[in-house]
Amino acid sequence: MIYAVLLIFPAVNAMAGTFEERKAELLQEASNERGRNIFLVAAKIATHHDERYALTMLDSLINDQQIGGMFYSYQMIATYLYLQSGLPDSLKEKIRTAYRTRTMYRGDTENHWVAYYTGLYLAAQTWHDEDGSHWFNGKSSKENFDEAKDWLNEWMRITTTIGQGEFDSPTYFIVFITPMMALQQFALDNTMKKKAEMMADYLFADFAVENLNGNYCGAHSRDYPEDIVNPLRAPNVPWAWLYFGTPKNAPWLPTLGLPRQPVFRHPTSSNESLGYAWEVVFGALSSYRLPEIIFHVATDRSVPYVDKEQKRVRNIIRFGKEMNPQVYKYTYMTDQYALGSIQGGILQPIQQHTWDVTYVSDKPGNTLFTLNPFYSGKELAMFFPEEQKFLTDEVNRYHKVYTDPNKWNSSSPYEQTFQCKNAIIVLYNITPTAHHRQVDGFFSKNLDERITLANRWILCKAGKTYIAFFPLKQYEWIEEPNDWRWRSYDVKNGVVVEVGRESEYGSFEAFRKTFSAAAIDAKDFDKTLTVRYTTHMGDTMQFTYGGARILNGHTVDFSHYKLFDSPFLHSDIGSGVLTMTYKNMTRILDFNAVAIRNGMVTK
Amino acid sequence: MKFLAVLFLSLFTEAHVVAQQTAVYAAVLSTKSFVVGGKNPMTGLFFQRPSDDTLWQHSGAPNVRVSGVAVKVEHPLGGKLLYLAAGNGVHRSTDGGATWKIVTDWRVTEVQWVTIDPRNSSVVYIATPYGVFKSSDGGNAWKEMSRGLEASHFISSIIVDVVNSNIVYCSTEDGAYISRDAAATWQRMGLSVGGVRVIAQDPDNPKTLAVGTEDNGIYISHDGGEVWMKKESGVDHSTFYTVVFDPHDSRILYAGGYVTGVYKSTDSGESWRRTNDGLTCLNVHSIAVDPANSNRIYAASMGDGVFRSDDGGAHWKFAGLRNAEVWRLAIQ
Repeated sequence: MIYAVLLIFPAVNAMAGTFEERKAELLQEASNERGRNIFLVAAKIATHHDERYALTMLDSLINDQQIGGMFYSYQMIATYLYLQSGLPDSLKEKIRTAYRTRTMYRGDTENHWVAYYTGLYLAAQTWHDEDGSHWFNGKSSKENFDEAKDWLNEWMRITTTIGQGEFDSPTYFIVFITPMMALQQFALDNTMKKKAEMMADYLFADFAVENLNGNYCGAHSRDYPEDIVNPLRAPNVPWAWLYFGTPKNAPWLPTLGLPRQPVFRHPTSSNESLGYAWEVVFGALSSYRLPEIIFHVATDRSVPYVDKEQKRVRNIIRFGKEMNPQVYKYTYMTDQYALGSIQGGILQPIQQHTWDVTYVSDKPGNTLFTLNPFYSGKELAMFFPEEQKFLTDEVNRYHKVYTDPNKWNSSSPYEQTFQCKNAIIVLYNITPTAHHRQVDGFFSKNLDERITLANRWILCKAGKTYIAFFPLKQYEWIEEPNDWRWRSYDVKNGVVVEVGRESEYGSFEAFRKTFSAAAIDAKDFDKTLTVRYTTHMGDTMQFTYGGARILNGHTVDFSHYKLFDSPFLHSDIGSGVLTMTYKNMTRILDFNAVAIRNGMVTK
Repeated sequence: MKFLAVLFLSLFTEAHVVAQQTAVYAAVLSTKSFVVGGKNPMTGLFFQRPSDDTLWQHSGAPNVRVSGVAVKVEHPLGGKLLYLAAGNGVHRSTDGGATWKIVTDWRVTEVQWVTIDPRNSSVVYIATPYGVFKSSDGGNAWKEMSRGLEASHFISSIIVDVVNSNIVYCSTEDGAYISRDAAATWQRMGLSVGGVRVIAQDPDNPKTLAVGTEDNGIYISHDGGEVWMKKESGVDHSTFYTVVFDPHDSRILYAGGYVTGVYKSTDSGESWRRTNDGLTCLNVHSIAVDPANSNRIYAASMGDGVFRSDDGGAHWKFAGLRNAEVWRLAIQ
């Protein structure tokens, strides 16, 4: 391939109009809302709608001494900068004062730090040349600016060389993208401004390659259970709608029969003043425009493809030899469904989502997966410095379901996966002393059909997606309001799943006939923990729990994994370079040179 | 609510200045109702003067997950010197708490313990989940000092020898370590167990060291850390977050941990007995003996504030900071 002379293309005109229409619709919708929420305030002031109320509300939010922390850090300065001409001097001064009097705690997660340091960077840039007495942390403007700049550069370096830690999260995506767009717009330093633009591209590209009709597909480092079982209510969806044009209908419409507000549920929803995930308003106010190539990556599902990615585990501070072990991610994308997984084990505490099938549907609950609901103080102590005997209770306080045997998000040291394209083998070897020793599976009540064959395959029809699910062990069905919970109690356990499309089989009846003759080789499983299965694409998978993953006779070697490896995205480990390709278009984000190179591929 | 009322009273009617007199300091990490990023009750550094033992006053930044405090009265600049070990770094005040500054950057986070060299207040050590850091210029610049600690960078406590400033001890997830060159290099001591949560030194017999561990009880060494003996007589629990020597009579030790209440030994740690009368929360994370009065003991609980005994631990009464998870106590 030869990269032709570089062309700088603006966001494509063909989609710009559509984006502008959605943007206007979003701001209109947000400006009509009356929540105690800084994003709604911003929408009202920006559109000159209900401004008096908005200014009063903003004053109240600024003055609320109980609001603070890392989210406040970037939200207040972004509000100040986005709305500067629309804010009276008295409110500007109050915002300035907040950075002197209000503690803005840095937090302890990757998204916390991105929010905190982006806020600090922009605030210190705005109120420069001031001594420590003017800042909440006693540092001067220069000290704060230099520290924020230093960490943001470090975060960008790590992310683009060894992978993101809080990767592919439908919830926390918004806490990365919103600060980056503010930084891109308001950083005065040209290098930081360019890098922020590149990081926004990078985050969007990472999302786009696993976007299916607004669903953030594949495994997730962190997600809330209500979003896992109903992907189209997750906070990423308004962003997909605004920038990718998917899903077709605006996320606040009751299209999916969902209550309206939870569509925008915020990760810190217990904080009333931060409210729901209206961060996308800042996206609408931003001058950032999605590059055309990312739009295509997000929306062209004409040809199925495999997307492989490497990410990293959150910092392990105890009980591990390596601080950031690799996470190997594998997703198979089609126009009707995505099957995605990470290798299993504990790769993120609390909110890990290891594998699922997500399918296109106009009904809620468009996903299917299994898990072992695991919790332990030791798991938490791997990542958090507090006392391990108290961590479980603390985490339960704000994540609510951590110890719940019925939770729908969980890491588990007793779960491992092996995926090849449209098929996955998921094995469990649960220690008898585990708190919860069952395997649970989510089967939506909105499936069009669910039948069980004589040979034990459970077949599901969801629109044009057909799912074949083979349980290795006995199980029971438990009816719940929105789903049927598949539950199996055997500690040596597993499932084999293969997914197909109507376009491949012609009909669900043909799918049924195919799987009536499908066989799993799992004899002596309790002794060998080995399963062998040949998919209907002709790949033979052999997987031993705790052992090798063998595909067509060859052991899968994860050491060859790249940061991104798909028809659309490519990035080598340690490179700091992401290459996007779509048909004859390319876009290269070179973080080493701090340069974006757009081009056309010629043969 | 009483906790908050006292707090606001302190915020709005008292100056934020730690008085130049003996005081009890409580590092409040969290509360029973803490939620990340949410509206939270005030936490951080609280102090109490003996002259008014019903009032805890707050000093410094709220809600920054403070897990340690170090105090030095004779600061060269004249004011009382305070350091806080906090989630967002090391906070320093050189004027007795009137003003504060975070003196570390992003490289230092989730600090577990801070200690000032008793003979040179310019030298400060911190224990973090990412290793030991040291400042030799009063907290302005920090350097990681973890050579030899590769087996575990998770450091939970660090102390300077009572006699020799070149000798520093720290507790790690891997075991107990000693440095004989002021933290430049570290060597693992002879303790066979890991999960060491705290290390303490006998103020009168520097060769005597004590550790509290996660799930492995209390160990004591009388030869500077070569040989350690598990002390099991009278001990019915396994996880200890705090072990302290009475500064007036180092044969007396106190220890506390997970559902332990307070343990007391009067024979240099050979035997122990629980002494929990009035102690309504048995999860004890820190104990402090008043250097001016050996009978006055403070116990910090995980979730129910501070308790005080005026009779050497025989009886306890609630001493404030309801619902607080108090990680460290210090009496200056």
